Amino acid sequence: MAASEPSRYLARSLPRAIVPAARSQGLCWRRHASDQAAAKPSALSDLESDGLLKGTTTPVEAAKSFDPVARARARKTQLPRSRYQFRSPKYDRGPLHPHRPPPPSDPSSRLFVPGPFSLSRVDQTHESTIASDILTLCYVHNPPGFKPPPKAPRLRTWDDSSPYHKNRSLRGPRGGDVLRLLRKPITFNNIPKLERITIHSYVKNAAKENSGWLHVAGMALQAISNVKVTTYRSKTSVAKWYISPGRDAVAAKAELHGEDMEHFFGKLLDIVMPRLKDWPGVKGTSGDSSGNITFGLEPEQVALFPEIEVNYDMYPPQMIPGCHITLHTTAKTDKDARLLLSAMGVPFYGKLVD
Amino acid sequence: MRPSISPVLASLANVFRIPLSQTTLRPTIPLLNQQTATQPSSPQAQARAPFSTTTPLLKRKSPYIDRRVTLIRYFLYHPLTPRPLRFSRTRFLRHWTIHRAWQLYQANRRRNHQLELQRQWQAMNAACEELRTGAGDGGKLFRKSMIKTRIFKDMFPIEYGRMQTEGPGEGWNHEWKRVDKPVKR
Repeated sequence: MAASEPSRYLARSLPRAIVPAARSQGLCWRRHASDQAAAKPSALSDLESDGLLKGTTTPVEAAKSFDPVARARARKTQLPRSRYQFRSPKYDRGPLHPHRPPPPSDPSSRLFVPGPFSLSRVDQTHESTIASDILTLCYVHNPPGFKPPPKAPRLRTWDDSSPYHKNRSLRGPRGGDVLRLLRKPITFNNIPKLERITIHSYVKNAAKENSGWLHVAGMALQAISNVKVTTYRSKTSVAKWYISPGRDAVAAKAELHGEDMEHFFGKLLDIVMPRLKDWPGVKGTSGDSSGNITFGLEPEQVALFPEIEVNYDMYPPQMIPGCHITLHTTAKTDKDARLLLSAMGVPFYGKLVD
Repeated sequence: MRPSISPVLASLANVFRIPLSQTTLRPTIPLLNQQTATQPSSPQAQARAPFSTTTPLLKRKSPYIDRRVTLIRYFLYHPLTPRPLRFSRTRFLRHWTIHRAWQLYQANRRRNHQLELQRQWQAMNAACEELRTGAGDGGKLFRKSMIKTRIFKDMFPIEYGRMQTEGPGEGWNHEWKRVDKPVKR
């Protein structure tokens, strides 16, 4: 892809005699800068001046023999252009297109986000403690040679009692048409993990009064989450709040991934949750039965986030929004997700429902 | 009334942008002054247009907008995606090398962690097999240990579920007893 672009230019510019050495050297077909550095230091030294890393002392004879003009003339082929010219195409036109954008992990991609720049406590705790704890707790032993009995197919076939059953699509599971996610036994490679967090805030005054309510809500969400929010229009009509579908932007949402998510979750656990007054915890019936747990925070609870608290006077106090926080985990059922969250320190209360 | 100054001074003031009249702040006042100076006002005229320093624009009522909301609107605006990184050849090579090295390091770390978990799992597997066959109690202890119902009901104790800190904390308190059941609602 684009990351290997400069090295391809390099290979083209270098003399033919040197290039095949790199090919024959490794088993893997990808060439890395570290592999090639040892192979041909003389050719690369033209490009890479490591004066940044080393000192600036140059021996006198080397300085006297240095003649860039003569070297450039003696060179048979031109070096690649100095300015890196690759521009990632804006749109991915499919696998058959000759010119495709690089993957988002590539620095030259338009979607590249540098980082993560820190190792968060949530991540470290999960790695050092929680993963092995959950692995141990959920371990189910099967004797060697054990084979689980085959299960009935999840989508049932029609009995051929009627001629109309021919070529019908399969029936849904018993007791409802919802096809639940399959839960596999938890082993070392599918330990549940926090995947992403969604913060959603429905601002009902945004329709009746001015848009300032939505702006303040968005700003508060951005402040606590470090992520740009998106606004959403109402899909339903609420006559009491003067909200009609498709007309009023009434909600703001922030999606947190990776580093942002871990820092937000750490703040939520360590700073906000211990200070919530009369808060029994997350309700045990919460969850969408596929491993995502939601709970809500009141406006005065949102104001406990340190970013808002230190700067409390910059928000009109009655405009600070409440929000719903959804913790998306990689667990397939709610009980696994709850186990993970309780290991991280989220309290649950009441009847637990899967 | 406009103060009379010499044309030289006036042109200098023009060059240095020094306002000669005081019309910049409140444009109504000098106009009014001029009017009153040129034509003496009659009481009817005064009744029709009573003296006021308020301009009509100021008189008009506007909805009150909190200054904080205005500021928030100002700071909320942000242009969309920044342009992709564009470097010269050497800088890009340097950047790419560091990036690749960091990715490799991360991949190695993840892989080591995965292997560690796998080793733990295999150790548990071996231990359970030993408990099942070689403990001499007919596998009773093994069967007891495989009952998982309470795990998903009780979950982790809340005292245990906390993020790790640098030091060992206050240590294990052996005297501690759980006070009561958590509040049911």
